Amino acid sequence: MPTRDERSGKLRLTVAHALRRRAVGYSIAIAGTAALTAILLPFRPDITPLSKGFGYLILVVLAAWVGGLGPGITASFAGFVTFNFFFLPPYDTFAIGRAEFVVILFVFLGASILISTLLARAVDRAEAAERREAELRALFELTTEQVAQVPGPAAREAALRRVVDLFGFDAGALFVQDARDYVGLHEDVVVGAAAGEIPASWDPRDAGRPPERVPLTVGGRAIGLIVLRGTGPPMSPEDSRVLRTFSDELALVLERDRLLRSATEAELYRRSDDMRRSLLAAVSHDLRTPLATIVTTVTDLLADDSPHDPAYVRDALAGIRSESARLEALITNLLDMSRIEGGLLKAHFELVDLWEVLTAAADRLRRQFPGVRVDIEVAPGAEGVRADPVFLERVVSNLLENAAKSCFAAGGSELAVRVTTEEGTAVVRVVDHGRGVPAAMREQLFHPFYRLEGRGPNLGTGLGLAISKGFLDLMAGDIWVEETPGGGATFAFTLPVDARVRA
Amino acid sequence: MVDDEEHILRAVGRALDARGYQVATAVDGEGALRSFHSVEPDLIVLDLNLPGMDGLEVCRRVRARSNVPILVLSAREDEVDKVAALDLGADDYLTKPFGIDELLARVRALLRRSSGQSMAGRFEADGVRIDLERREVTRNGDRVHLTRTEWALLDAFAEHPGKLLTQRWLLDRVWGSGYDEDVDVLRVFVSQLRKKIEPDPRRPRIVVTDPGVGYRWALRPAAPA
Repeated sequence: MPTRDERSGKLRLTVAHALRRRAVGYSIAIAGTAALTAILLPFRPDITPLSKGFGYLILVVLAAWVGGLGPGITASFAGFVTFNFFFLPPYDTFAIGRAEFVVILFVFLGASILISTLLARAVDRAEAAERREAELRALFELTTEQVAQVPGPAAREAALRRVVDLFGFDAGALFVQDARDYVGLHEDVVVGAAAGEIPASWDPRDAGRPPERVPLTVGGRAIGLIVLRGTGPPMSPEDSRVLRTFSDELALVLERDRLLRSATEAELYRRSDDMRRSLLAAVSHDLRTPLATIVTTVTDLLADDSPHDPAYVRDALAGIRSESARLEALITNLLDMSRIEGGLLKAHFELVDLWEVLTAAADRLRRQFPGVRVDIEVAPGAEGVRADPVFLERVVSNLLENAAKSCFAAGGSELAVRVTTEEGTAVVRVVDHGRGVPAAMREQLFHPFYRLEGRGPNLGTGLGLAISKGFLDLMAGDIWVEETPGGGATFAFTLPVDARVRA
Repeated sequence: MVDDEEHILRAVGRALDARGYQVATAVDGEGALRSFHSVEPDLIVLDLNLPGMDGLEVCRRVRARSNVPILVLSAREDEVDKVAALDLGADDYLTKPFGIDELLARVRALLRRSSGQSMAGRFEADGVRIDLERREVTRNGDRVHLTRTEWALLDAFAEHPGKLLTQRWLLDRVWGSGYDEDVDVLRVFVSQLRKKIEPDPRRPRIVVTDPGVGYRWALRPAAPA
C-alpha cells in the first residue's frame, strides 16, 4: 500500500522523469564522447580505427537508450566528428587519408543514426506505456475513491485534493451551479487556498500562469467548474486527458448527490407535513375532549332546570376539577414537548439518588392508584446517577403511571422496578404484567401522540413516552421497551452512574 | 349515550338523568349495539369517534333495523364523518364542545318528532299557511303557486320537521339518483322556495341552512284544525 506522499504527484514524476532522462542522454552523448576520446587517445597507435569506432557506437546506443532520439543523434555526430578528427589517420585533422576510411566513417554514421532511431522509438513506446499505466492508475484511484465516499462536501473536498496533488498543482477550487437559481456558480470546496481566494473567472491580463479551468458537464449541461492554480509547467496532453475524464466522472457524482439530496428533502418535507397534520388533529382532539366535559357540566350547572341539590353540584364540580387537571397536564406536556423539540431545555446535572427518586414516585403512585404494589430493588453501586432531578422525576412517574394503568387494565396490581449496572451505566427497568407491546410498535411508541390502537381512551395524552425519551436524550440516557418474561411490558432506561460514586 | 370518554359520558348522563330521562351508556361500538338490542332506546346519542367499530358503522347497523332517532356527536376534526352519518340516516348532530341546553333541546325535538306529533300536514308562520294535504300555500291570504319540483322539495322538508337533511339526501329524494353532486341546483331551488314561503326570505326561519351540511325545516306543525 503506497503512502499518500508516494502516490501523489505520480503523473508529474513520469514527465519530470522523461526530461531528466533526456538530459542524462545528452550528457552521455557529449561528456561520454569526450571521456572516451580522452581514454582512447593514449592507445591511438595500438588499436585499429575500427575497434575505436565500436567504442563510439556503444556510446550512441547508450545515449539513445537513456535519452531517446535527440541524444542518440547527438552522440552519432559527436562520435562521427571525434572519430574522424582523432582516430582516422591522418590524426588531428578532418582530412581522411584513405577512401576505405570514408566508407567506414559513413557506415559508422549511418549505423549510429539507424540504431538511435530504432532504440529511441522503442524507448518512447515503453515510456508511453508507462505513462498510460500511470494515467490509468491515477484515474482508477480517483474514481474508486469517489465511489467509495459517502456523498457530501467532505467527499468533494477529498476528490479535489487528489486532483490538486496528482497533477502537481498548489491549490484548487470546485465551483458548482447554484441549485436555487441555476444561473450563478458558487464556490463549493477549496483546497490549498483560503475560501474565496481562487476566482471562478480568470482575467487574461492577470500576471502569472493562467489557472487550469475544467468545466463539469452532465449531458451537455454545465453543472460546475474546477479551477486549479499552480506554478509548475503547463499540463501535458496526457494529464489533461486524465483530468477531463475524471472531471466527467466527478460531474456525474455531483449530479447524483444533487438528485439524492433533493429526493431526500422532498421525502423529509412530505413526512414532516404528514406529522404536522396528525399532530394538529391529535392536539386539537386531546385539548377539546376535557374541554367538552367542562363546558357540558358548567352549562348544566347554570341551566334553569338543573337540580340544585348539593350532592349533584358536588359531583358535577368534581368532574370539572378532574378534567381541568387533565387539561393542565396535557398543556404542561405540550409545552415540555415543544421545549424539547425546540432545543430550549437544558439538563442541570446533579448526583441523584435513584432509590430516593423511585421510592418517592412509588408513594405518589400509591396515592393515585390505591391498591397498586410497587417492588423496588436497586443493585449496589447503581444508586448514584448523574441526572437532572426534575427530568428524572418526570420520567420515573411517567413510566410508573403507564405501568400501573396497563397493569390495572389487565386485572393486576403488582409492579416491579429493578436497577442494575452495566459498564458505568445504571439500567432502570419498570416491569409490568399488562398486555405488553407488540414488537412492531416498540419503536413508534416513543413518537409524540402515539397511542396503542384499541387500548381504551384513558391511557393518557400519547406524549408521556415521547417526553421521557426527550428528557433522557438530554441526560445522555436511552429508553426502550422489552417484553416481560411471562407477558407484559418492561420499560427500561439508562443513565450514567456518577463518576464519584463509581470510583 | 355512546362515547369513549368516560367523563363526558358521566356529565351528559348525569344531566339527562336529572331531567327524568333514563340513560344507558356504552364506551364502544360493540357495547352500543348490545345496549341497543337489550334496552331498545327511544333515542341514541352517538359519538362518532369510537375505538374498534366506529360510530358510522353503529349508525348503519342501527338504521338497518330501526328508525330510532340518532343524535351524532362529532369533534371538529371529523366533519366528513358527520355528513356521512347524516347521509346514513342520523337525524341531527352536535359539535363538541356543546352546552347541555343545546343537547337537551335537540333531544326534546327528536323525541317529539318520533313520537308522532309531527304527522299533521299543516304549518303556520307570520301569515304564511302551508297545507300539504290540500296542496295549498297562502301568504297573507293570497294563494302562492309552487312548481312541481318546489312541491317535492317542500314535501321532503315537511315530512321531517326539525331533522337536518343533507344536501345529498335532498338531491336524491327530489331529483333522483344521479344528481347527488349537483349542490348548486339544490341551492337555486331552496332559494326559490324561500322567496315563496318565507315571511322574510333574506332571514329564513322556515328552511334553515346548516352550512356545508344541508337544510332543516324549522317550523313546528300547527295544531290540528
